[in-house]
Amino acid sequence: MISIHTITNPSTLQFRPKRPSRKPPKTLAPIHALLQYNRKPQLAGDTPRVVVITSGKGGVGKTTTTANIGLSLARLGFSAVAIDADVGLRNLDLLLGLENRVNYTVVEVLNGDCRLDQALVRDKRWSNFELLCISKPRSKLPLGFGGKALIWLVDALKNREEGPPDFILIDCPAGIDAGFITAITPANEAVLVTTPDITSLRDADRVTGLLECDGIRDIKMIVNRVRTDMIKGEDMMSVLDVQEMLGLPLLGVIPEDTEVIRSTNRGYPLVLNKPPALAGLAFEQAAWRLVEQDSMKAVMVEEEPKKRGFFSFFGG
Amino acid sequence: MASIGAVHVRSPSFLPLRNFRNGLQFWSELGLGCTCKYSSGRVTYRKFVVKAMESDVDSGLRNDAVVIKNSEKDNVEKQQQLHQNIVAKLHESIGSLPVFAFSIGKLSGMNFTIGLCIVATILVVVVKGYATQRSSDRRPGSVADLVRRGQLRSDRRGISTPLKYEDPFNNPMVKVSKSNSTVEMCGKVYRLAPVTLTDELQTVHQKRRSRAYQWKRPTVFLKEGDPIPSDVDPDTVRWIPANHPFATTASDIDEGLAQTNVYQKHGVPFRIQAEHEALQRKLEALQNDQKLGKLVIDPAAARDFERPLKSHMKSENQVEHSTSTPKSGSSASPSDNPPGNKLLPEEMQNP
Repeated sequence: MISIHTITNPSTLQFRPKRPSRKPPKTLAPIHALLQYNRKPQLAGDTPRVVVITSGKGGVGKTTTTANIGLSLARLGFSAVAIDADVGLRNLDLLLGLENRVNYTVVEVLNGDCRLDQALVRDKRWSNFELLCISKPRSKLPLGFGGKALIWLVDALKNREEGPPDFILIDCPAGIDAGFITAITPANEAVLVTTPDITSLRDADRVTGLLECDGIRDIKMIVNRVRTDMIKGEDMMSVLDVQEMLGLPLLGVIPEDTEVIRSTNRGYPLVLNKPPALAGLAFEQAAWRLVEQDSMKAVMVEEEPKKRGFFSFFGG
Repeated sequence: MASIGAVHVRSPSFLPLRNFRNGLQFWSELGLGCTCKYSSGRVTYRKFVVKAMESDVDSGLRNDAVVIKNSEKDNVEKQQQLHQNIVAKLHESIGSLPVFAFSIGKLSGMNFTIGLCIVATILVVVVKGYATQRSSDRRPGSVADLVRRGQLRSDRRGISTPLKYEDPFNNPMVKVSKSNSTVEMCGKVYRLAPVTLTDELQTVHQKRRSRAYQWKRPTVFLKEGDPIPSDVDPDTVRWIPANHPFATTASDIDEGLAQTNVYQKHGVPFRIQAEHEALQRKLEALQNDQKLGKLVIDPAAARDFERPLKSHMKSENQVEHSTSTPKSGSSASPSDNPPGNKLLPEEMQNP
């Protein structure tokens, strides 16, 4: 697991390589990365941290991000509750492979058909990850107290007997309609998912503006579906271009990966793939930065041909 | 289906040959002893063909005789022998023809059977296709539907073995170069570039957005057409259409009650308890009206129908019933309370 930082002050370097090089580099390279070996990320901020994952535009990967970051957090040892706040078009349960275990939703909790702990679906793979769906696909959410209901839910999760979760991730529906308003109500911070295309960027900018108007200042972005080959051919905006347009700190850059579709259809999030996929590794790093309230200081620009050794001819 | 079709298509081509051989051997050797319809038909047809061929032979003979008269008389005997040979050949051909004709006649019967089979097969296919379409129309696009259509594998959803690194904080798939300018992930090397966003730039963007987007989060949801309450800021109202697919402004539950439901940690949920109490009240009301008296099963009568092996279980149940009698009221034994003189729950509690 790595996290990439710019080394602004070499004296505060936290680089812990396994085998420190005997000869220090003569001159510091312009780009520095920091490997974090053999330690758990330090949780920053007050728990539970309520994070809304939103985008504005649909189909950019909000739900995929929620599923993968949620399970990454669970793998890193933090308890997480993912709330699927997409009222009409919920899909988080499918991505997690938990669709057959959702019997009760928040609507049933509000109606008094079940208790909150009965509506929480615990993932058997990582028991510190739970899913909560806000409604069934064919039911309507009464909006009279939609936003308030999420605030009550967060309060109830804070005060539950087994202790509050470290993270509450809210998967926001697309658009800026009633579902969006409901989903952002209890959030303290936001993760904005966007793709490097102009339609997604315009929506992302609008949503960022609405979030800032609502008082959510801690907004980080994940740039999804990045293709370095297209960036190299100047057919796609680079991540740095996207950042220049939106002016938001980067939580992660997720490369385009065919494994995403495969894992979605299998109901098995990318971060649990074996062997790990490139996008899964990127999600893991994003989760690491989310825990530490950190942001990327260096981004992958393009693919370089791998340097081969002298004996590579013989397979070395 | 392809195999069945092939069989149906190929079978007629085999049938005549098989019938021809069988008919030739069977009917000629047995001498048409049977009286079945097909055999008599064959015999008559055979006679007719024989006559027709003989007439042809006679005319042929006449022509030959004229030719013989005009030519040499020495060859008469030879010609006669030749004619005898021709007649013998004709008889042979006659022996073969009626069987072929019969086989065609039998083939028409077989065609009916084959046609019936084809129609039955088509019917089965159509019915099966219709049934499949009906079943897939129930929930198109669902996971079960995708599994049925073979686009998803049901055994690969959510039950794979999870990835467990030896050490989750030491990922061997990620390596950063010593100069920290490249990173190798999953066997691919990427060049790293520094992020150029500064705090000043971030602030500039925030100011730009605050100017561009003036927004108050709506806190009041009203149905389109409803009047705005006097104490509500119009900017904070979100209008919801009455036919909105996912959202509704109508709520049949009290806000305070909903909050209590969310905060409930133990015990029976509110709605379940309310329904249970309502059912109990209804039951009591029915008992009060003595409508339920007729529905009570007499244990003494029921005992006669029970199996002897369950007698001890029944006695245990009776003990339990007797202990729980004061609460339920309906479980009071009619031997103690005859149907016409039942104790009502209120009477039992306050005798």
